[in-house]
Amino acid sequence: MSRTASAEQEKATAGTEPPVPAIATSGLHKAYGSRVALHDLTLTVPPGEVFGFLGPNGAGKTTAMKILLGLVRPTGGEALVFGRRPAEPAARRRIGYLPEHFRFQEWATGTELLDFHGRLAGLGTRERSERIPELLERVGLAGRGGERVRRYSKGMTQRLGLALALLHRPDLVLLDEPTSALDPVGRREVRELVRELAAGGVTVFLNSHLLTEVEAVCHRVAIVSQGRVVASGPLDDLAGAVTQLRVLLDRVDREVLALLSRNGQVARVEGTAVTLAVDTLDVAPDLARLLVSSGYRLYGLVPVQRSLEDIFVDLVGEVREG
Amino acid sequence: MNVLVVARWTVLEARRRRLLLAGVILSVAFVALFAVGFALLYSAQERSLLSVQARGIAPPGGLDVREELLAISTILVVLGLYGVQFLAALLGLFLGVASVSPEIDSGALHAVLARPLSRLEYLMGRFLALAGLLTAYVLVMSGSLLVTARTVAGYQPGDTSRVMGLMILQVFILLAVSLLGSTVLPTLANGVVMLALFGLAWLGGIIGFIGTIPPGNELMANLGTAVSLLLPADAVWRGASFHVLPPSFLVASSFTNGEDVGLPFASTAPIAPAMLVWALAYPVACLTLAVAAFRRRDL
Repeated sequence: MSRTASAEQEKATAGTEPPVPAIATSGLHKAYGSRVALHDLTLTVPPGEVFGFLGPNGAGKTTAMKILLGLVRPTGGEALVFGRRPAEPAARRRIGYLPEHFRFQEWATGTELLDFHGRLAGLGTRERSERIPELLERVGLAGRGGERVRRYSKGMTQRLGLALALLHRPDLVLLDEPTSALDPVGRREVRELVRELAAGGVTVFLNSHLLTEVEAVCHRVAIVSQGRVVASGPLDDLAGAVTQLRVLLDRVDREVLALLSRNGQVARVEGTAVTLAVDTLDVAPDLARLLVSSGYRLYGLVPVQRSLEDIFVDLVGEVREG
Repeated sequence: MNVLVVARWTVLEARRRRLLLAGVILSVAFVALFAVGFALLYSAQERSLLSVQARGIAPPGGLDVREELLAISTILVVLGLYGVQFLAALLGLFLGVASVSPEIDSGALHAVLARPLSRLEYLMGRFLALAGLLTAYVLVMSGSLLVTARTVAGYQPGDTSRVMGLMILQVFILLAVSLLGSTVLPTLANGVVMLALFGLAWLGGIIGFIGTIPPGNELMANLGTAVSLLLPADAVWRGASFHVLPPSFLVASSFTNGEDVGLPFASTAPIAPAMLVWALAYPVACLTLAVAAFRRRDL
């Protein structure tokens, strides 16, 4: 077979293969001395996805993000960003990053900081002179670029951080608590921004302990607690997997609990109210008929929509107790 | 390319933090003070020596007026340059101490190193910029002093380029060692360690000097050398100071009393070749270690 033919064949097979994931980690582990910050993190984020990394403070979210940027060396496992190890500088070319506390050189002006980062990201003079004012405008800092970062408010610094993260039109944006310093209007703007990025095919990896934020923008989430992923999946699945029915009866006895257990899992009994975890809400009509025909008076059969927060608290609480 | 971007940024930082302005103002003040002091002392001494000579009394020590004046200007130039190297050394230490760890502590470095910039490039950029600023400082300061001495007294040092070259080497040594400290130690701890090292090196020089005073004490001389190996800054300054001395001064001082006592802050012998090699390797070794340590460091 000639070389051209084999090259063409390679190209053809490459087209049918799944795209290289934006982020792929396997068995990622990080210990600082005896303290383990990250246990065994395995996750894949395909390109174009908005991925929420959710967990309480100190769960290891920032450590994971720093490993993806080559700022921290893992003590075990592997992390790849677009198929490359983040310790190689070239692998970071396609990443934009908003650090957790958005601390920047305070002696510089916003424009100087953007210019410095633009040069490091490999942008030419012309690109920088076009892109910097455009970005300042986009993050709501138009006309403030000439001021020193020291004089910026917290919210302004965070906006500047977003501009820095987006400066070189990255394919992957890592945002570590991107709205922590913003007011409600600013938060909404960031949500819009994330949606715009996603619409443009940019992968977003979002660290947050703010559930509403993640709920509003993410396609998929992973919930971490004490360095481990305790749940992950598409948001709808995660919320749907643990659908519950709240059954209000005139009395609760052993027979009714047995009857309910055949249709789901009894999660809680509070007086004459039983909370039942079910696979699907479709069991509700049959369950109602069954209860009534068994002689119980049914006052209510209410599907309980579990918010991400409920799931989060349940999962994180379980880990803490365990 | 990235090295230059970081270097440029470091110079901008020095400007923005008013480091350059403060440096320029203090340097001008220092040079002006030296010039005025040198001119006044020199002319006063010249007048008194000439009047003594006019009265036909032989000057003490058997030196003629010309030799006496040369000795005075040599001592003044050595002391002036000693001041310059001391200031430059402290500046080198401070700049090195402030080069990396404060940026880590403040978190400002995270966003920078998340760029396609290697840690080697970052450290080299920092070093390059600071070394450039310090070189300019040493050249301008020592140059101004030597020009003053030449204008007022017609003073010619033994070898100007070696004086400056060795003084710059001394500052590079201090910058490199404190930059190494800055990659492994917190800022304050590094500052304390570096000042202690610097003081120790100075003490080593003094001990070594006392060891050479006739009849000589080999143990002290060796102790001085051993301390100098730990941080060869003072040893390099002594090497530089030798080249400040005009050849005629060396000849005069060696046959006056038959025994050479020298100057406590300077040396009447050139730097030993082995020490020079060590001093040249020292900053390279420090930077290599700094890069190795910084690469492993979690931010």
